[in-house]
Amino acid sequence: MCGIIGYNGFRDANKVLIDGLKRLEYRGYDSSGISVIDKKQQIFKEVGEIKELEKNLPDFKGSIGVSHTRWSTHGAVTKANAHPHLSTNKKIAVVHNGIIENFQKLRENLTKKGYKFLSNTDSEVLAHLIEDNYKGNLQKAIFNALKKVEGYYAIVVTSTDEPDKIVGARKDSPLVVGVGDNENFLASDITAFLKYTNRVIYLEDKELCVITKKDITIYDENYKTVDKEINLIDWDISDAEKSGFAHFMLKEIYDQPDTVNNVLRGRVSEVDQYIEFAEKVEKELKPDLDSIHIIACGTSFYSGLVAKYMIEKIADIPVSVELSSEYRYFGTKKENSLVIAITQSGETLDTLAALKEAKNSGCQTLAITNVIGSTVTRLADAYILTQSGPEIGVAATKTFTSQIIILFLVALKLAIKKGTITSDELYNYILNVKELPKQIRQVLEKSDEIEKIAETLKHAHSVFFIGRGINYPIALEGALKLKEISYIHAEGFAAGELKHGPFALLTKETPVIAIATKDFTYDKILANIGEVKARGPQVIAIADETDTEIEKHADFVLRYPTNQTILTSIPITVTLQLLAYHVANLRGCSIDKPRNLAKSVTVE
Amino acid sequence: MKCVILAAGEGKRMHPLTYTRPKVMLPVGNKPILEWNLLNAINAGIKEFIFVVSYKSEMVRNYFENGEKWDVKIEYLNQGQPLGTGHAIGITEKFVDNFIVLCGDTIFGSEDIKNIAKKQNSIGLVEIENPQEYGIVKLKENNVVEIYEKMTEPFSNTINAGIYHFNKSIFSYIKKTQKSPRGEYEITDSINMMAANTKINGVSLKQWRDVVYPWHLLDANEEILKKINKKMDGTVEKNTSIKGKIIIGKNTTIMNGAYIEGPVVIGENCKIGPNCYIRPYTSIGNNCHIGNACEIKNSIIMDNSNIPHQNYIGDSVIGQNCNLGSGCKVANLRLNKKNIKAILNGKKIDTKRRKLGTVIGDDVQTGVNSMLNTGSMIGNNVFIGPGALTKGEIQPNSKIM
Repeated sequence: MCGIIGYNGFRDANKVLIDGLKRLEYRGYDSSGISVIDKKQQIFKEVGEIKELEKNLPDFKGSIGVSHTRWSTHGAVTKANAHPHLSTNKKIAVVHNGIIENFQKLRENLTKKGYKFLSNTDSEVLAHLIEDNYKGNLQKAIFNALKKVEGYYAIVVTSTDEPDKIVGARKDSPLVVGVGDNENFLASDITAFLKYTNRVIYLEDKELCVITKKDITIYDENYKTVDKEINLIDWDISDAEKSGFAHFMLKEIYDQPDTVNNVLRGRVSEVDQYIEFAEKVEKELKPDLDSIHIIACGTSFYSGLVAKYMIEKIADIPVSVELSSEYRYFGTKKENSLVIAITQSGETLDTLAALKEAKNSGCQTLAITNVIGSTVTRLADAYILTQSGPEIGVAATKTFTSQIIILFLVALKLAIKKGTITSDELYNYILNVKELPKQIRQVLEKSDEIEKIAETLKHAHSVFFIGRGINYPIALEGALKLKEISYIHAEGFAAGELKHGPFALLTKETPVIAIATKDFTYDKILANIGEVKARGPQVIAIADETDTEIEKHADFVLRYPTNQTILTSIPITVTLQLLAYHVANLRGCSIDKPRNLAKSVTVE
Repeated sequence: MKCVILAAGEGKRMHPLTYTRPKVMLPVGNKPILEWNLLNAINAGIKEFIFVVSYKSEMVRNYFENGEKWDVKIEYLNQGQPLGTGHAIGITEKFVDNFIVLCGDTIFGSEDIKNIAKKQNSIGLVEIENPQEYGIVKLKENNVVEIYEKMTEPFSNTINAGIYHFNKSIFSYIKKTQKSPRGEYEITDSINMMAANTKINGVSLKQWRDVVYPWHLLDANEEILKKINKKMDGTVEKNTSIKGKIIIGKNTTIMNGAYIEGPVVIGENCKIGPNCYIRPYTSIGNNCHIGNACEIKNSIIMDNSNIPHQNYIGDSVIGQNCNLGSGCKVANLRLNKKNIKAILNGKKIDTKRRKLGTVIGDDVQTGVNSMLNTGSMIGNNVFIGPGALTKGEIQPNSKIM
């Protein structure tokens, strides 16, 4: 995820662009850059936060320009790789958010034609490609260039040959037009220009837009001009950073259909039935591994537990999941085993230390993280990015589901290599995993219903979560979410374990949330619910939408869409996230910054 | 000549009315303050306008559009941040040469605007009784020497009225202006710098109405209604009494038994009566209903609000979409006849008025027989239960039972 802005108006472009970048900083910031047209393209880039860019920014004169804040996916974090990128003739400046999938091929062709590349990003290809197509009309050049591009993008382009206009285009990445007075804007998000105007035009996929100071022209995918409606935004700026949501956590919960898509994009193809990772990762996923050790902390540890069920079931490789702080001192480190470290920030100290121990003992290592360039990506032999965009709420939400899906794909890849999966099974898994974004949306639509149930929990002193199989770690995660943001004591248990102790704590005032999936343990979980009911508490069941039996057993039922048991964990997780959110919200808790907690724990 | 009207302010001291509209859109005599300024400037011969907007700018834009309705050209610039008058004027640099500026939330007369327009580099001046809250102007032979902001012991009663005539040279001073202690770029600081080098003429104004607090709207309303001419576009039934000057909008019906003493303005599509008493200096917006046994005096009732049954409203401002319950009444005079104090944004303020009812934001509902005590400031979207008593300041979205 990156943030881009273009400005064409009467104000000092430097100021508007920097200001806009600060508003977009939530979209990521490992490097940033700006270019302003003052006869030639004045360009300046910096590594680090936006304030680094601002500090050293030369005083460019001009009121037309573009800027970019980067959250790397291709290429390291360096000044050269930061945007904007210039064409070989230095006339065209491009900022890009997205991924150009065929950039290698394009780059080879352009290099042959004599275009000079200065970075190793996919985005730079666009600048040279537009120059290559330029015949006196910028929008036409961009239109023709984009026809050759595969992947997804939102771009904003300026050219010194036509210094009165800015051109933007999008496909699968966000770009909105801000309609001002004697000034117009293009940006990834309304927040960037909300200070100056609250009138926006939403661009559709494959649309192209030309803005001058006074006019806005929009072309459709056939290069025909289209009339678009101007929408009025009635949020204020603090709402807009959260895209109108009350809290970052809620926004991040609602991001999940997109973040899940991001994980699947480019890695899964139902046409060719393959799962593809970067070369280095593929090398680590050897079919003859004796065992896999997953090391992680907190929520990431629970995604490890979920992965254990997936990998053991699909790929038939024994998996142990250990807390990093324990593994570091007490874990078994065997050769010919793969150690997978999961950390959202890539900086969790306990996990880094455990990973070093594993490496020193000769294990192969693989990291799963959300932050490119973080310590873990340099430490591990290979790494996979969750590409979820920055997560600002302290309680992990979208990165948890992304981690699970990545580990699911790892399980499939290992199974393909080992031959433990038939092509029919693989095809089914691929189709079903692709259903997930839609199914998450279905759960999100039930937010009001979940809020009503949250009402019944808000005065509880203690809440139990129970589940079996893969739903046991999901119950643990559900309990963790509730306790960390609502400060209600919550515990997750394997459903069969209640009678071995926890029953002693169960009173009429302890609501129990039971995850019931329609698999071979369904009868068992019904029996467990019966045991609970006999002691008086209210039971809230999380059940399949086709389940008609469950009403007879539980007091309240929340439904999730039908899927394979191994994948229902995702919509169930989203249900539990919303439940925790609503309870905390009803209790008036500080949701994005719970007491005593930090987003990334870099101490032991 | 272009006229820049500063219309970006939120007007926090105008709460609760400005929670839902910018200050310049507050109505007096059934027109926004900004429209009065526009009309007066048009009368002074001005045809091109730039409105500097920001807070809830779409309301200004939707109302005035491009100015066609007034046969003038209106352009907009969005200030972005509330960085002060200097900043607001500064952003117009690329659009003006020789221009006049007026603060959109103060009503200026057309003759004064004409005088200012005639005189290069000039500032409007006015003498008032309590100048502590304004910029005190030091003069030397009618030329401005310096403006002093908010003095506790002012040496003069002559203040900066908020209307200026500038040329391009002002922008070089604006660029040199530093932020003031309250974090804004003040145009008066730029003017002081300019006064050191250039002659700035002081022009005394004949007419000037500043509105700071909600109750000032009643004064402005009175001043404007004093000048209206009779105009009857609605229907008047038999057995009604209409005295003095009164304006009645289209599709409005004045029903049997209504007794109206002008000056009074009533908008379009209203139902007035039967059997009600409307007293002088009252403005009633569009789509309102004033019902049986209601008395209204010296008040502003905004669009879509109902005063339907057995109500008394005196010296009050009532927002849009309000509905009063049967028998809900306003107290507008303290029994000890002392000045009424109001609480606004948590601060107690002497309104210097002996008579003041209530100020009610938009979308407020009151229950039957509820009582709104003197100086109640009621936020928007408030629900006041049956028989409840209000006093002091009530936050938006509250329920009073």
